[in-house]
Amino acid sequence: MSNLPADLKARIEVAAPGGIGWTGTTNAHGVTTIWCELADPADLLPVGGLLKALGARLSTISAFQPKPPEPEDEDDDEDDEEAEEAAPPNSLGGVVIDGKSYEIAYHFDLDGDTLTLVVFLAADAAAVRSLTPLFRNADWTERELMEVYNVRVEGHPNPRRLFVDESVEAGVLERLIPFSTMVNAASTKELWEKIMAAKATRS
Amino acid sequence: MTTFTIPVGPLHVALEEPMYFRLDVEGETVRGLDLTAGHAHRGIEYLATKRTIFQNITLTERICSLCSNSHPESYCMAIEQIAGVSIPERAAYLRVAAAEIKRIASHLINVALMAHLTGFGTLFMQVMETREIVQDIKETLFGNRMDIGANCIGGVRFDFDAEDLAWLAGQLDRLEPAVDEIVGHYRTNPTILERTRGVGVLGHDDAVACGVVGPVARASGVEYDVRVKAPYAAYDAVPPAVETRTDGDVWSRAMIRLAEVKASIDLIRRCTHRLPDGPTAVAERPDVFAGEAIAKCEAPRGELIYYVRTDGSPRPERVKWRVPSFMNWDALRFMLKDAKLADVALIVNSVDPCVSCTER
Repeated sequence: MSNLPADLKARIEVAAPGGIGWTGTTNAHGVTTIWCELADPADLLPVGGLLKALGARLSTISAFQPKPPEPEDEDDDEDDEEAEEAAPPNSLGGVVIDGKSYEIAYHFDLDGDTLTLVVFLAADAAAVRSLTPLFRNADWTERELMEVYNVRVEGHPNPRRLFVDESVEAGVLERLIPFSTMVNAASTKELWEKIMAAKATRS
Repeated sequence: MTTFTIPVGPLHVALEEPMYFRLDVEGETVRGLDLTAGHAHRGIEYLATKRTIFQNITLTERICSLCSNSHPESYCMAIEQIAGVSIPERAAYLRVAAAEIKRIASHLINVALMAHLTGFGTLFMQVMETREIVQDIKETLFGNRMDIGANCIGGVRFDFDAEDLAWLAGQLDRLEPAVDEIVGHYRTNPTILERTRGVGVLGHDDAVACGVVGPVARASGVEYDVRVKAPYAAYDAVPPAVETRTDGDVWSRAMIRLAEVKASIDLIRRCTHRLPDGPTAVAERPDVFAGEAIAKCEAPRGELIYYVRTDGSPRPERVKWRVPSFMNWDALRFMLKDAKLADVALIVNSVDPCVSCTER
């Protein structure tokens, strides 16, 4: 039932000279899901162009900061991309997964099948090219990406805030914001004490 | 001619949901459009990572009221993929029935509002009265009129016995002629046709460029329906009839929705006729290991996609979803171009806007 071209992997390998990682599964309904990691984020645009030519639709973009396997390494691994001995977990392409690096997944729909391109970015060089020249609907998703994470999208035609107000610092998903701070309100125990008092008199 | 800038919204543009439009008008013709979103942003993606995998079923059901079944359905599908669980056959059919009941209610409220915005109050009342049959179905079978709590990881939380099925069949027999009558009005009524044909046009190429999905795409000739293109649950066993139109105007979008209401009635009947016996969910709550998954389903407004990443802990590491409404706002630029100011609310309503879904 899948309409994916048989030589899709070979064609992506040509478009992405930096190297790729490839896993594909087809479920019981005959729907194929492919995860394609790109070692070099610069290959994103050429591969995107290839997918566009195949009639792909950009579904959405999911960004994520993967946790390292051992959290205590979190601070030690910073700016340590070339380290070989400490054996920190590296992504394809050599980005150190230190809890601050990013993994950005571009989900494409190819007539029902899903192909996800994944790029890895180090926290200190978190910039990626905009897909808007190829996919118009990348506009909103990339704007959202820029406000919830500290990722720069280069070449975006309209890099304004989408949902989060200008007065709020970018990267809201990267830090804990207590609810009371968010809504600018302090909570009191008054209501709770009232309930407990009412309960005490009843029993 | 003098040019004015007119604010429309943020409240009560078409539905009672906030979106701010700044329109540049020349006379009464819209020449430019600027959008400000974010009034209903609640940070649910963040909340989802602070709750357990199982608690998130309840949370995702509350993202939006009209697609409240589609969110937990896709979320459960993603978790089931990670856990390597396949749902029992009966559960697959019951998921289809629940989703289609919700689809009918969602589409009917949208076409009702279209009548309301054209000033056709009696037709609005008639459609809402018809929709009440569907609301009663939900209340009787699921115990709730909006959030029906149908899904769980590994299956569904409800079951239909013979009495339920007979009652449901009777309600569908009541619903169908009422829908047929409504379709007749929308097809022939001069007021409806005058206000909605050739208005708010989204051409095929623009629809593809904007990446729109669901009835908005299908009204512009884009033949895409997740239920057919990437079947899930029991949709490959009971495929839906999918209609497309080519005009891409407000009227076409309404007619697509009405055709889908008819198709959904048919789907529910086919599902309940051949409902297989067996359990409605897997016997044990599955262990969810580290992994990532993509799940898609056809919500009333089109493709809803979920990305879930887990690390083996009780809480998911990341839950991200994109609702079908997300692309419609940009598509409105094409639809509102050179539109009459009086048609703005009608055009906005025709994409079946859902702000709480879009902003999360």
